[in-house]
Amino acid sequence: MVVTWNWLKEFVEFDLTPEELSHRLTMAGLEVDVMEKLGAGLDGVIVARLLDVTQHPDADRLTVCRVDTGAGEVQVVCGATNHRSGDLIALATVGTILPGDFKIKESKIRGQLSQGMLCSEKELGLADESAGIMILPTDLQVGQPVFKALGLTDVRFELGLTPNRADCLSVVGVAREVAAMVAGTLHVPHATLQETGANIQTETSVEILDADKCPRYAARLIRKVKIGPSPQWLVRRLEAVGLRSINNVVDVTNYVMMELGHPLHAFDFSLLRGGKIVVRCPGDSAFTTLDSQVRKLTTNDLAICDGEGPVALAGVMGGENSEIRPETTDVLLESAWFEPYAIRRTSKRLGIHTDSSHRFERGADINMVPVALDRAAALIALLADGVISKGMIDAYPRKIENRSLIISTKRTNAILGLALSTAEVSRLLSSIGLDVKHAADADQLVVGVPTFRPDLEREIDLIEEVARLNGYDLIPVTMPSGCSTGHPEPAGQGTVRRLRDLMVAEGFAEVVNYSFVHPDVSDRILLTADDERRIHTVVRNPLTEDQSVMRTLLLPSLLETAARNIAYRSNDLSLFELRPVFRPVHGTELPEETLHLAAVLCGRRAPLGWCQTEEPVDFYDLKGAVEQLLEVLHIEGASWSNATGEPYLHAGKSCTLMHRNRCLGVLGEVHPKVLANYDIAYPVFMFELNVASLIQEANAISGIQPISRFPDVYRDSAFLLDSSVSAATITETIAGVRSNLIESSVIFDVYSGKGIPEGKKSVAVRVRYRSTERTLTDEEISKVHDRLVRSMESRLKACLR
Amino acid sequence: MKQRLEQLLESGRQSVMQAQSDAVLQEVRVQLLGRKGELTALMKGMGALSAEERPVIGALVNTVKDSLESLIAERSAVLREEEIARRIEGERIDVTLPGRRRQLGSLHPITQVTQDVSAIFASLGFGVAEGPEIEKDFYNFEALNMPKDHPARDMQDTFYISEDVVLRTHTSPVQIRTMLKHQPPVRVIAPGTVYRRDSDITHSPMFHQIEGFLVDHNVTFGDLKGILTAFVTRYFGAEIGVRFRPSFFPFTEPSAEVDMQCVICSGKGCRVCKDSGWLEILGSGMIDPEVFKSVGYDSDIYSGFAFGMGVERIAMLKYGVSDLRLFFGNDVRFLQQFA
Repeated sequence: MVVTWNWLKEFVEFDLTPEELSHRLTMAGLEVDVMEKLGAGLDGVIVARLLDVTQHPDADRLTVCRVDTGAGEVQVVCGATNHRSGDLIALATVGTILPGDFKIKESKIRGQLSQGMLCSEKELGLADESAGIMILPTDLQVGQPVFKALGLTDVRFELGLTPNRADCLSVVGVAREVAAMVAGTLHVPHATLQETGANIQTETSVEILDADKCPRYAARLIRKVKIGPSPQWLVRRLEAVGLRSINNVVDVTNYVMMELGHPLHAFDFSLLRGGKIVVRCPGDSAFTTLDSQVRKLTTNDLAICDGEGPVALAGVMGGENSEIRPETTDVLLESAWFEPYAIRRTSKRLGIHTDSSHRFERGADINMVPVALDRAAALIALLADGVISKGMIDAYPRKIENRSLIISTKRTNAILGLALSTAEVSRLLSSIGLDVKHAADADQLVVGVPTFRPDLEREIDLIEEVARLNGYDLIPVTMPSGCSTGHPEPAGQGTVRRLRDLMVAEGFAEVVNYSFVHPDVSDRILLTADDERRIHTVVRNPLTEDQSVMRTLLLPSLLETAARNIAYRSNDLSLFELRPVFRPVHGTELPEETLHLAAVLCGRRAPLGWCQTEEPVDFYDLKGAVEQLLEVLHIEGASWSNATGEPYLHAGKSCTLMHRNRCLGVLGEVHPKVLANYDIAYPVFMFELNVASLIQEANAISGIQPISRFPDVYRDSAFLLDSSVSAATITETIAGVRSNLIESSVIFDVYSGKGIPEGKKSVAVRVRYRSTERTLTDEEISKVHDRLVRSMESRLKACLR
Repeated sequence: MKQRLEQLLESGRQSVMQAQSDAVLQEVRVQLLGRKGELTALMKGMGALSAEERPVIGALVNTVKDSLESLIAERSAVLREEEIARRIEGERIDVTLPGRRRQLGSLHPITQVTQDVSAIFASLGFGVAEGPEIEKDFYNFEALNMPKDHPARDMQDTFYISEDVVLRTHTSPVQIRTMLKHQPPVRVIAPGTVYRRDSDITHSPMFHQIEGFLVDHNVTFGDLKGILTAFVTRYFGAEIGVRFRPSFFPFTEPSAEVDMQCVICSGKGCRVCKDSGWLEILGSGMIDPEVFKSVGYDSDIYSGFAFGMGVERIAMLKYGVSDLRLFFGNDVRFLQQFA
């Protein structure tokens, strides 16, 4: 909604600067998004007369003008073609800064002196487009600033209104707020009409067949109108609030809508078949609105019909078949009130949002129906020489009464933290035109709510008005008493935090990708046709196909993120994401949301540097990270099995992570075909873990191991083994020795190649011995270590090297 | 004899001082004090001395010997110092060469802001609650006083999964779920991901919010101002001005938009605050009685307030991020700045 300073001043007196008014409106809940001073700084643009216009000697398209400024004569070179000697024009004198930071300087144009500029409306910020320079009315005084001479000095306020404030979708509505602010009086215009000729009742009729959707419909008939352009003041005013001038009759309906907030519609009476109005739902039918679009109506769309069919979409838009044309002479003017929900449904379904539908949806004032009708009729009579027929039709089958509410001062103060008296509450509510009466109980007031405030439905709505009108600033800042109830954290929140922290400690950067993805991600990661992760929760109205289904795995988004980074030549990546995935569950309304933790790793192990390794990362970098995750969560005894069955993983370099028969997730190298689908040219390693499972398997620290005071002794042994023997079986074999003297064992070298027979490998193990009770003797250690070696030999056919 | 001893001390002193290495010094020592050394040779002449002279000369011999010993020890210490100093000098490295580094990890700024904001509210006694991102229309709209056909639904363009299931448009449904489960008093914040059907330079179809609410006996609008002023000044700085102005949300009444003084221009007016000097930072209000009705709280007994803020917006102001899309582009050059 846009209002202007001058327009507001017609309805209320106030002594504020534009800045103060802007601030007060914002603090009253009518947020000023933009304040624009029209003509500010343009005093240098003056009314001037063209003394003569001659062709530029060296440029076909330019003219050289002699201009009378009232204080002397200047010469200006001009490129326009619509100016003639004797015209009054807008001259931007030297030194003026036009909108767009354009400073006027004295210059020579093709050798001719130019001391200013003849302006178009566009150049003065008065219009979006203009053809040629602005030719001014002949009665202006030469030398005066143009904005002042034309009465254009004004201030525009663009308000960002909240949907509850339908009452402020008009200049009068905003003026009412201003009046409350400054304790002033609001003057609402009341039209006086001259009615002539036959009574409207004998000329036409209005029939409402659906009083639920249309409780009131009023009309006037204005004959002998002359359709033509509107006067300048009307054009300017409409432009100032963002409307385009059409013709005098349509402009009046728009003007009254902006002024009083009530949408009106003008029909060409001669085009109404049967000469009458019927308000009804015509059912399934096609109808062309005045923007030449064919609209398909359905059962519940309310239309204004004539004797045969629709002539307007009620409250939304008029019809092409009955619109005001240049040759129109008789106008049927409509002022009606429609139920907000009905207008909303139709406008939403058809995707038509108009100034009219906007107001009816939010709730217009039913008592404004005759007022707006008379105001518009009077203006049409004035501006289009129309003759108003006697009387009006005011069909009002379902009367809507003022609401009556009770407000308690005690409750008001209890909610706001204020200490107002009942009298103060009464004063505040009266200031916006509510009808306040004292009740039997001194604490209470009975408040009659006029129909222009449909948002005030309950006591709490009035309490809000009290807070607003008194000023939010004046509510003292306090702290709530009482203490927190200490709701337990949702299960696993601590674990999730620890997982994030550990991933950061491992050098991974957290990413946040959209939860919705393209449905083709399943193909890109090679999921088989029957894979249940192909079944997505589908967004019905996505913005793009890229964001049309909810992801069931994090991996595809991470690969996309990796590819994008690689495209920017960030080649060494370690990224993780910890967010939910969504799986539709048959028979339940909501899908299952499960937290996943996924990571991708690629490129060099360390940043490039003179002392850093240049080695690329491999499977074990990733596995190390997962092992540490398990350690942090105190999940012991997890197993790594080579078969994942995941089509997106390299079958030889991947595994499933299991713990107590629960699958925690998978890790491995991404399948080269998948990488090719993401245009990634080198290996990427990934893991994706189910955080819910991790939370279930996680343990707290149960108690600590004592630290031995005695020295350790270690033995290194290298074994020759079949290549197929896994590290896990070696670890198991060592554990199988079951000696409490073994503190730890580490595989510290794995080698095959030169010096090792084909099909064999050498595995070196360091076994650390220590007792918590005494210093171990060589003999004791040898006994256990020999047993370990023999166990390796017998179980794994190992040879000590 | 005495004279010869004094000469020996003098020449010995010179030899010791001239020794430039420990090895040379050892040779000097042997030469002076060794079994075949000069002092031993001199002492062989002791037998020729008189009985009176002998103890005097004997004492002098010991003095000379001690002097030489200590000269050698001192010289040795000096030589050792010099040796270490030389070695250290030889081992000098270029300390301006960069060190050996590991890749640093980083939390996404959205996570960092969420954690920081949550920590402030935790210190004000607020617990954390969660709810699903895909939500029933009832929790997302109906129970929050937004029936179908309510114009306020226009404020939030919605992604639909089905007629009655939506991608939640705000974290407020967590309010409903929490209040249905717990009786007052409650003090809870609910951070989470939300979705709106809007995508341009200032809107992302997925973004993050932190919702909070407090319900108890005698909670006032003044308390709302108190808690939110405490939050803004603790997060953005004690000198930041805060103002509350009327607004509208279907689930609060009275509703307030919370503005803080522009952190970019300190309230003087700039592009970021559209020359107003103020930035919208929170939506808030006293919880509407209709909401209490839908969760079975008695609004004659309890009152409360709720608030919500956009995590990305806060991150943009806190870190001076001017393009919302950076948060979801996940460029590591952006992310690593939050390490």
